[in-house]
Amino acid sequence: MKRTSVWYLIVAMAAALLLVGSPALAAKTIKIGGLFDITGGTGGVGAPYADGVRDCVKSINEQGGINGRRVELLDTDYSYKIPQALAAYKKFKNAGVVAIQGWGTGDTEAMSPLVTKDKIPYMSASYSEHLTNPEVTPYNFLVGTTYADQARVALKYIADTWTDKSRRPRVAFIYNDTGFGRSPFFDVDYQKHHFPAAESYCKDVNVDLVDKQIVDLRATDATPQLLNLKKSDPDFVIVQETGVMSVILKDAAKLNLRSKFFALNWAMSEKILQQAGDAAEGCFWTNPFGLWGVDAPGVKAMRAVTEKYRPGQPQIVNYIQGYAAMTVMAEALKRVGDNLTGEAVKDALESLRDYDTGGLCSAPITFTKDSHKGSMGLKIYQVQGGKLVPATDLIMLAR
Amino acid sequence: MSNYGVCGDYKVTYQEDMEIFQTRFVKGWLYGFIVFLYVIPLFMGHYALYVTNQIGIAIIGALGINILTGYTGQISLGHGAFIGVGAYASGYLTANLGFPFWIALPCAGAVTAMFGMVFGIPSLRLKGLYLAIATLAAQFIIEYLMVHMEFITNGVLGLLVPSPSFGSFTIDTDLRYYYLVFTLVIVLTIFAKNIVRTRPGRAFIAIRDRYISAEVMGVNLFKYKLLAFAVSSFYAGIAGSLWAHYVTIITPEHFTIGVSVEYLAMIIIGGMGHLLGSIYGAVFMVLLPEVLRLVSDIVGGYLPEVVNLMAAIKEAVFGVIIIAFLIYEPEGLAHRWQMIKAYWKLWPFSY
Repeated sequence: MKRTSVWYLIVAMAAALLLVGSPALAAKTIKIGGLFDITGGTGGVGAPYADGVRDCVKSINEQGGINGRRVELLDTDYSYKIPQALAAYKKFKNAGVVAIQGWGTGDTEAMSPLVTKDKIPYMSASYSEHLTNPEVTPYNFLVGTTYADQARVALKYIADTWTDKSRRPRVAFIYNDTGFGRSPFFDVDYQKHHFPAAESYCKDVNVDLVDKQIVDLRATDATPQLLNLKKSDPDFVIVQETGVMSVILKDAAKLNLRSKFFALNWAMSEKILQQAGDAAEGCFWTNPFGLWGVDAPGVKAMRAVTEKYRPGQPQIVNYIQGYAAMTVMAEALKRVGDNLTGEAVKDALESLRDYDTGGLCSAPITFTKDSHKGSMGLKIYQVQGGKLVPATDLIMLAR
Repeated sequence: MSNYGVCGDYKVTYQEDMEIFQTRFVKGWLYGFIVFLYVIPLFMGHYALYVTNQIGIAIIGALGINILTGYTGQISLGHGAFIGVGAYASGYLTANLGFPFWIALPCAGAVTAMFGMVFGIPSLRLKGLYLAIATLAAQFIIEYLMVHMEFITNGVLGLLVPSPSFGSFTIDTDLRYYYLVFTLVIVLTIFAKNIVRTRPGRAFIAIRDRYISAEVMGVNLFKYKLLAFAVSSFYAGIAGSLWAHYVTIITPEHFTIGVSVEYLAMIIIGGMGHLLGSIYGAVFMVLLPEVLRLVSDIVGGYLPEVVNLMAAIKEAVFGVIIIAFLIYEPEGLAHRWQMIKAYWKLWPFSY
């Protein structure tokens, strides 16, 4: 009867699944949801991000929690699949979470009408500009500088450092055909609100946009796109990708492309640098977060925490992003006191003015009733001698 | 005595042979089950309701692909894209043209049926793997259109779709949606059952089993192959429309090749050429990742060091379970259910 027992097991599991759906008692804990991609398409950067959030929660709890309450992180892996993300969301809602740490652009957008309806603040790792207008998405928050702002900083930097007065700098974009990929570059009308982006900004700073190339997030070869780029011959290439950046850099080195690369935040990390090797030399990077070795109080405190849980494992920037997002959320949770509702957490987040994360985020974090862009500043880094070195001081944008 | 099937064939008319409910017991049991389906959601939380709604939508989609692949033998790797067509058609009609949901739903089915027929035309020349590749092309073409036809789909930003409403009654909770989805599941299952046991269904089966013989017998291949694509896509369209109005925002990332493969896996695991197979397959494919995630979350809760490892193991287990099913139950869960029934019917005096 071996097979029958397998069936019993499956039935029992299904029954257990239905039971988990029942609302639990919220005694002396603060429940927050954590929706991460560990095994899916963006798992390479998603797993360290999740670790960052988890470690931050763990250290908060070891220090006595928030206002005497333990933080309970209900975290789950949704494999970058939207139906599974929604399932996880319903589970969080059942459990009565007061806020959620989320991940990708596609799923954050799919859930933004829901979190608005259910009044659950949602902090995503997608720094898409059109998630920052509270009139449209009142419960979405981002601690990073938006992709469009990053691209604008890059363009401004290119224009300002351009020395050849005989012509204007030539720029190209590399992106992928997803919400994430197109976000920094193309103006959009999202729910009757106009969100300008890098493409229209090129004219403002006197930069010529000469080419746009699409490279899939999971591509293993970018030669055709780079050969096209060679024809249009840009001086700079701004890239919105994730791990595939190392492929792009290597192929560009192989083809002797003279263009300089400008990676937006997800397109560079210590890991990508290691994979790309010498090909990454000279590549610029807009990074709104701190790095592992930075000498700043927040980063030092984080290093002490990480050393305790993961001794001898220096973490990459994506881990710091997760840690920073959770730190900001924890501050808001501290401010709400005993009034643990989604609306109160939203108001607390909107009360943050120049909140200093001690270097976890490059710039201080501010949310207002009119803008959910958390960070308005970043540093441009450059790969020099195989290391990520700041090429500029903190660049602040106008809100 | 009418509770039991008789041991032998005592049917004397064709009507009796064609009856769906062979005994009164089965009929009563089924009505009981339908009542159960309508009562049980009152006791479920949001999460359980969401999962069951997802199952309901998957059942409708799987019925569609089973009619095409299971009954007519035409492999389709474009089902996910067809579901997307239905979703966008319904979304566009309600959001931009102001159609009410109850008109947009059948319209979405009809639009998708037309798409299906267009992409079904190659099936007249292509068979087996070649057709699979042709439908795969359909998947990519439609995906491209979803991203770039921004005046209809709003591209990667996603199309906002209103919740269905009948007059002032809006179906915007999981519970209300459950009733909508499961009423449609019941109606469409009965419809599918009646398709497959009448002339078109028999023509489909004839084409699947040997298309030359079917043609010799007078089955119009052109007509019935396209009809199979149309019916299948109609179901996909309905499933897509329901999904769109449920999540209320759709982007092209909802309808990737992965979805097509999942639907194909559903009917393979559930049982090709059995309507029950669509239902079992949909239940199985929706529940399995949720169950695995539950297990990995529980284990991860006790052993935080291995939480990322568990997530990776979860994906591997998913694959292993599917391979195991294909090896040990190649005819699907529907067949397994028949075996169980047969076992108990004859118990304790099996042959």
